[in-house]
Amino acid sequence: MPDEPRRWVAPSTVALSAAGLALSTYLTIEHFRDPGTLACPATATVNCARVTTSAQATLLGVPVAVLGVVFFVAMVLACLPFAWRDLRLTWVRAALAGVGVGFVIYLVYAELFLVGSICLWCTAVHAVTLALFAAVAFATAARGVPRPR
Amino acid sequence: MSRSAAAQRRASRGSRREEHARIARERAAAAARQKRIRLAGAAVGGVVLLLAAMVVVKLSLPRSEPAAAGPVPSTVVDDLLHVPTGTLDAVGRGKVATLPTALTGRPALTDGGKPLVLYVGAEYCPFCAAQRWGLIVALSRFGTFTGLGAARSATDDVYPGTATLTFHGATYSSPYLAFQGVEVATSERRGNSYAPLDTLTAAQQAVLAEYSSNGAVPFVDLGNRYVMTGATFSPSVLTGLTHQQVVTSLGAPDSPVAAAVLGSANAFTAALCQLTGGQPGDVCTGIAAGAFPELRHAG
Repeated sequence: MPDEPRRWVAPSTVALSAAGLALSTYLTIEHFRDPGTLACPATATVNCARVTTSAQATLLGVPVAVLGVVFFVAMVLACLPFAWRDLRLTWVRAALAGVGVGFVIYLVYAELFLVGSICLWCTAVHAVTLALFAAVAFATAARGVPRPR
Repeated sequence: MSRSAAAQRRASRGSRREEHARIARERAAAAARQKRIRLAGAAVGGVVLLLAAMVVVKLSLPRSEPAAAGPVPSTVVDDLLHVPTGTLDAVGRGKVATLPTALTGRPALTDGGKPLVLYVGAEYCPFCAAQRWGLIVALSRFGTFTGLGAARSATDDVYPGTATLTFHGATYSSPYLAFQGVEVATSERRGNSYAPLDTLTAAQQAVLAEYSSNGAVPFVDLGNRYVMTGATFSPSVLTGLTHQQVVTSLGAPDSPVAAAVLGSANAFTAALCQLTGGQPGDVCTGIAAGAFPELRHAG
């Protein structure tokens, strides 16, 4: 029988998910908003406009920023204290975190090799997703996982 | 030996066996827990290593360099420098997104006793590409450019390969105004940025630092009476057009290109007339220069 989750688990994972949700919401607003400043940044490597207007900024017609919002909403719900106590959600939460970090790997690849620029806001989302994956992985491992029936 | 003593020994042996079994179970659980944590650590470490490896590979790859823009036909520059007044008047305000901001109480920016127009941009920057068209048309009404060359914005940026002219290597002469056009980088990839081109003087750097947030470009300072960071219109208007097509479109006042480029030129003209004290008269009293009354009476 798995142990009770540690005290730090629910607050930290909810906080990370909420931070990711805030960043993704900002990027979604920026995606649909007309560019306010028709200017180039001082450096060419860090160029959010170039990243967020690239072909890789959408997946099957859906902006990846919107996918990020959906992902972090799901993670907020899956990381609430009651959800951590519900053993049935263990695999769901772990799978979500795994899908999230897998998508981050793809997006970093796209930024580096397909677009050729990075967006600091996107990088912040990637860092949050990676931290969330690590927190969920270690918390789940420390607690133990229910055996599938 | 009594029967009760034997029962006690049996009970004690059973208790020890249970204790040993409990300890064994706890050890097995701890070992399983350690194994799971090592697995989680391996998964997290694997992701971090993969991301780090991608960054290392990216940094070690040679960059592809876009082809330079070909020579621009001389007729393109000639037509751009001599847009008929009637066409500018017909466009009027045109369709511009943003205008220069008027400054008040600032010391005049001058060069050789004339109001100085300072432009800072980069050849790779698509917004600079858009901004130059209107600025060149406007300044050509007050003086003469020579040595304008063809350029295109970076092909790996937004609005890739936007046709434009570059101020690098160009000179401007006017009885009314002085002009300094600085292109800080080419559109040729160099490492993670673009090859540097012109170097800002200390005075130009000071002006840029004062008014342009984070050194963003294009930046235009009109004699310290108007400043602008960013383009007056979106480069999307010029997408896919050659230099010749842009200039040809300027002949049709109702075309989107003319509305953007010549609207931008008329806005700059209105502002420049404030710097020159309304000189030359035929330009500053014309319909085009009057299309932006909000740009009068600055500073």
